[in-house]
Amino acid sequence: MTSRIPDTHAEAWDLLPWLANGRIAAADREWVEAHVQACAECRAELSAQRMLSGNLSRAGAEPDQANATEEQRSFDKLWARIEAAESATPGKRSVEAAPRRASRPVRWLAAAVVVQGIGLALFGINALRTPDAGKPGFVTVTSETPKHAARPDAPLVSLVFAPDASIDSVNTLLTHQGLSIVSGPGLSGNFTAALSADAVASGASAESVAAAVSKDPNVTFAQPIAR
Amino acid sequence: MGMKMVQTQAPRALAPSNDQSERELLERIAKSRDQAAFRTLYGNYHQRLSRLLTRMSVRREDIEEVVNDTFWVVWTKASEFRGASQLSTWIIGIAYRRALNTLRRAKLRPVADHEFDEDSVSVESTDDDENNQQWISLGLERLPVEQRMALELTYTLGHSCEEVAAILDCPVNTVKTRLFRARETLKQVLPALAGMQDPSGDRS
Repeated sequence: MTSRIPDTHAEAWDLLPWLANGRIAAADREWVEAHVQACAECRAELSAQRMLSGNLSRAGAEPDQANATEEQRSFDKLWARIEAAESATPGKRSVEAAPRRASRPVRWLAAAVVVQGIGLALFGINALRTPDAGKPGFVTVTSETPKHAARPDAPLVSLVFAPDASIDSVNTLLTHQGLSIVSGPGLSGNFTAALSADAVASGASAESVAAAVSKDPNVTFAQPIAR
Repeated sequence: MGMKMVQTQAPRALAPSNDQSERELLERIAKSRDQAAFRTLYGNYHQRLSRLLTRMSVRREDIEEVVNDTFWVVWTKASEFRGASQLSTWIIGIAYRRALNTLRRAKLRPVADHEFDEDSVSVESTDDDENNQQWISLGLERLPVEQRMALELTYTLGHSCEEVAAILDCPVNTVKTRLFRARETLKQVLPALAGMQDPSGDRS
């Protein structure tokens, strides 16, 4: 109990909100409760405030299931943003995170990227062994001056694909936007894609491409990565 | 360190959570960048913050941005939290300030500048409880945002006077004054639903 006992109506009245919500300071509880017991006006006010509290709590409440779904979706977006930022500045990550188990489409897409990489590497080695290497008689995506090559300083975009996105639709989307996957998937299944030199030359930026692909139903998250 | 993405169920309680357990979560985030701890902490606040931001008249499409900006700060500044205040007041305070910035940017006026006119609003629901909630929401919209926040933090989220003052960055007496004025306004607008009776006598 406090050494100071105000026991005035005004001071007790001011503390009624926290008597109503149970968070009144221990030092004040005893004298405020004593005052309320003796004061009809404060008793009525306390009762009124408890009713107000109940009405406020019920007002605006949303169904739990809607909240849970919304919450998970929002968190996924935040986590993809964190991963994008940390992959852009890897030194800031104090402890390496163990990769989470990616969803099946994401794992499949990752495998496709790896297989594609191996294929391109084998193709490159084979080309080097060929006498007329570097002078192909046809244009390929691995030509010496590839049409869609991304420069080392190419604008980057972090992408998360929809779980039901097909590889064909993803390929079409990437090609159309002049993007190529350069890393991923990250912990949230996000990929980092680089913008081709041609796309940059035609006026595209990480921001404009991220805005464009975010409208595609095959993409659940797209954000430019700060360089 | 539990780094797997955990599909946790969002806690439904709006009351302030256990500060000690949340500090442990923050410590795991700061020391080991623990995603599971981060997800749990996010779940502890998502509903509370979304509700507060709704009460602040932050547009629905901006609420997620403010919540995630807040937790972006939590993730990046976790190691800098010194524990001078409750963790909840730190997090909710960040959200409150971010929301004020968002409202300023949007040049919104969260408080109407005309007097409340019961005839100017319509509540169409015939369900009594739903009707009451709609009237409460309409009544709250007539209050300045600082008064609305004082009401929400105190009566809905159950914060102490000192915690509300820390979140709103004002003296405790200001919190008391805002609550008093908010109740007075609600009393005039919604006497029955505010649970208030006609004031009798002066406050001594």
